[in-house]
Amino acid sequence: MTNPYVPLLVMGLLAFVMGLAGLLSSAVIGPKRYNKIKVDAYECGIQPSPHAASGRFPVKYYIVAMTFIIFDIEVVFLYPWAVAFTELATFGLIAMIAFLLLITVPFVYEWRRGGLDWD
Amino acid sequence: MTFVPPSIDWAALAPIVIVLGAAVVGVLIEAFVKDAVRRMVQVILAVVALGAALVTVAWRWTVVQAQGPAELVGGAIVEDTPALMAQGVVLICAFLGMLVIADRVGGEDGFTPVAAGAPGSTYEAQARRLGLVQTEVYPLVLFSVGGMLVFPAASDLLTLFIALEVLSLPLYLLAGLARRRRLLSQEASLKYFLLGAFSSAFFLMGLALLYGYSGSVRFADLAAAVPAMVGMDVVLLAGVVLVLVGLLFKVGAVPFHSWVPDVYQGSPTSITGFMAACTKIAAFAALVRFLYAVVPGLTWDLSPLLWTIAILTMIVGTVLAIVQTDIKRMLAYSSVAHAGFVLLGVIALTSSGISSVMFYLLVYGVATVGAFGLVTLVRERDAEGNVTGEATRVEQWAGLGRRHPVLAVCFTLFLLSFAGIPLTAGFVGKFTVFAAAVEGGAWPLVVIAVLASAAAAFFYVRMIVLMFFTDPDQDAGSTVVRTEGTTAIAVAVCAVATVVLGVVPTPILSLTSEATKFML
Amino acid sequence: MTLVHYLVLSGILFSIGAVTVLVRRNALVAFMGVELMLNAANLMLVTFARMHGDLHGQVIAFFVMVVAAAEVVIGLAIIVSIHRTRGSASLDDANLLKN
Repeated sequence: MTNPYVPLLVMGLLAFVMGLAGLLSSAVIGPKRYNKIKVDAYECGIQPSPHAASGRFPVKYYIVAMTFIIFDIEVVFLYPWAVAFTELATFGLIAMIAFLLLITVPFVYEWRRGGLDWD
Repeated sequence: MTFVPPSIDWAALAPIVIVLGAAVVGVLIEAFVKDAVRRMVQVILAVVALGAALVTVAWRWTVVQAQGPAELVGGAIVEDTPALMAQGVVLICAFLGMLVIADRVGGEDGFTPVAAGAPGSTYEAQARRLGLVQTEVYPLVLFSVGGMLVFPAASDLLTLFIALEVLSLPLYLLAGLARRRRLLSQEASLKYFLLGAFSSAFFLMGLALLYGYSGSVRFADLAAAVPAMVGMDVVLLAGVVLVLVGLLFKVGAVPFHSWVPDVYQGSPTSITGFMAACTKIAAFAALVRFLYAVVPGLTWDLSPLLWTIAILTMIVGTVLAIVQTDIKRMLAYSSVAHAGFVLLGVIALTSSGISSVMFYLLVYGVATVGAFGLVTLVRERDAEGNVTGEATRVEQWAGLGRRHPVLAVCFTLFLLSFAGIPLTAGFVGKFTVFAAAVEGGAWPLVVIAVLASAAAAFFYVRMIVLMFFTDPDQDAGSTVVRTEGTTAIAVAVCAVATVVLGVVPTPILSLTSEATKFML
Repeated sequence: MTLVHYLVLSGILFSIGAVTVLVRRNALVAFMGVELMLNAANLMLVTFARMHGDLHGQVIAFFVMVVAAAEVVIGLAIIVSIHRTRGSASLDDANLLKN
C-alpha cells in the first residue's frame, strides 16, 4: 500500500485541473457579448443601487451592518453556552437570559429611533 | 470536571452595577422618552446614579475596614481598600465633571445637535434651528465611568482588558461631539480612536504573552509563576512591557502621549475635563495594582524603563507646555507633566507610594475638572457681537481678572495647585509623592521633578500675570457667558477642595494612608 | 509542524499590523492594521491554550473577538462621519490640530 495521502493529492490535482479547464474553455469557446448589465456591479440580480459605482454608499448599509454585528456577537457567546448547556445548568441559563436582555436594549433603541426604517 | 457557579456578592458589586445599570436605563430612556423631557430625565438619572454609587463606595469602605478584602465573581474583581479608594476618587471627579457636562452655558450645551450630520450641512443647520440635543452623551459618560470603576478593581488581565475597552470606546465617541469647531472635534475623535485601538492591541499582545508564560491571566497566578520559571524571561518581560504600554498610553506618559494634546484640544471642553481627570485616576490605579500584584519580582528589570519614562514625561510635558498658545493644549501638556509626577509615587513601590498616588490623583482630578469647567465659560465674540466658541487662545484671557475677578481667582487657584505652591492642595500632593519617592530610593527622580516643577511654575504664573496685570486686548473680544448654575457649583466645590486639601490635608491624608491597609 | 510555528506566525502578523498602522495614511487601512494585530493576539492565545492544554486562552479569544467587533462599529462610525465631512479618509488631511 502506498502513502494513504496519495488519493487526496490526486483528488486535489483533479479539482485544480477541473477548475482551470472550466476557466480556460469558457475563455476559448464561450461567446463574448459585453453590455451594460454585464459590466455593472453585481447585486444579487437586482438593479444596482444608485451611487454604488462612485464609491459612495447610503448610510443605511452601515446601520444594517451594525445591527448585523450585534447578532453576530450574540452567537459568539450563545454557541459555547449551547455546547455546555447541561453543565452550566440554571446559573448559565439565568446569565444567558440577562445577556440576551442586555443585547436587546440597543436593538430597542435602534428600532425606536428609526434605525430600522428603510426609507 | 463539574461546573461550580461562582457566588456573586451583589452588595460588593453595587457601585459598578448602579452606574452600568443607570447607563442601560439611559439607553432605554433614549428609546422611549419624548424629546421635550428627555434631557432633563437623563441628567437627573446620571447625577443620581453617580451620587448613589459614591455613597455605596463609602459604605463598602466601612465594610472592608471591618471584614477585610474579598474576591468577587470568581476572582475576576477584588474589593480592597486601594480599589475602593480609586473608585471613590473617580466617582467624585465624575460627579463634578457631570455637573459641568450637564450645564447649558450661554443657553446651549457643549454638544452637537446631531452627531451624524456632516459639519456645515443643511441637515445640521436644521437640527440646530429645531434645538435638538444629543442626549446620548449621558449614557455614554455613565458607561465610561462604569469601565473606570472596574479598571482599578480588576484582578485578572482579561477583566482589565474589557474594562479598558468599556472605558475607552464611549470616550472615542464623546471626543467627536463638540458643538463648535466640529472638524477639530471629529479629528480628535479619529486620532484618539486609532491610537487608542493601537495601544489596546499592544496590551492584548502582552496579555497573550503573559498567558503563554504562566498559563493563566490571574494576577495571583502570574505573580506565583514569576520566580518559579527562569527560562522564559524574555516572554515574561515582553508581556509585562506590552501590558505596561497599554496602561501608560491611558495615563498619557511620554512617549505614549502624542494623542493627549490633540484630543484634549479637540474634544468638547466639559468632556476633556472629565476624561483628563477620571481616565488618569483609573489608569494609574490599575497600573499600581498591576505593578504591585504581578511584578514585584521584576522591579530590578523594569526600573530602568520606568525611570526613563518618568523622566521623559516630566521634562517633555513641562517644556512643551511652556511654548503653547492655546489654553486647552497648555493644560493638556501640563497633565502630561503631572502624569510624570504621579509615576514617581508609582515607582517608589512602597505603601506610602500608593497612598501618595491616591492623594495626588484626587488633588489633580479636582483641579482639572475645575479648570476645564472655567474654560467652558470664557467665549469669543464675532464681529456682530454674537457669542461663539470658547476663547482658548491665551491672549484672549488678558485682563480677565479685572472684569471677572471671581472666575479669574478660581482659575488662579487651580493653576497654583497645578504648580504646587504652598497652601494649595497641589503642594501637599507633590510633597507626599516626592517624600514617598525619596523613601523608595528614587532621589535622582525627585531632583528632576523639583526642577520641572520650578520650570512649570513659570507658565502658570505667566498665565496669572496675563489675567490680572495685562490690559485686555480689545480685538480679542472675549466674554464670559452665564451658567445654569451647575458649572458654578462644580467649580466652587473644586476650588474649596483645593484650598481645604492644601491647608488642612491631614484627615484626607490619613484616609489615603489607610488605602493600603487591605490590599489583595 | 510544531506549535512554535504558530507563535512565529502570530508575531509576524502582529508586526505587519503594527507597521500598517504606522505607515499607511488611509484611516480605514490603518484600522485594518489594528484588526490584524488583534487577530494575531488571538492566534497566540489559542496556540498557548493548546500548549498548556487549558481552555482559558480560547475563551479569552472569544472576548477579544467581541471587543474587536465593538471597536469596528465605533471606528467605522468615526471614519464614515469624517469621510462624509471631508470626502476622504486620509490621515494626512487630518492635521488641523497642530500648533
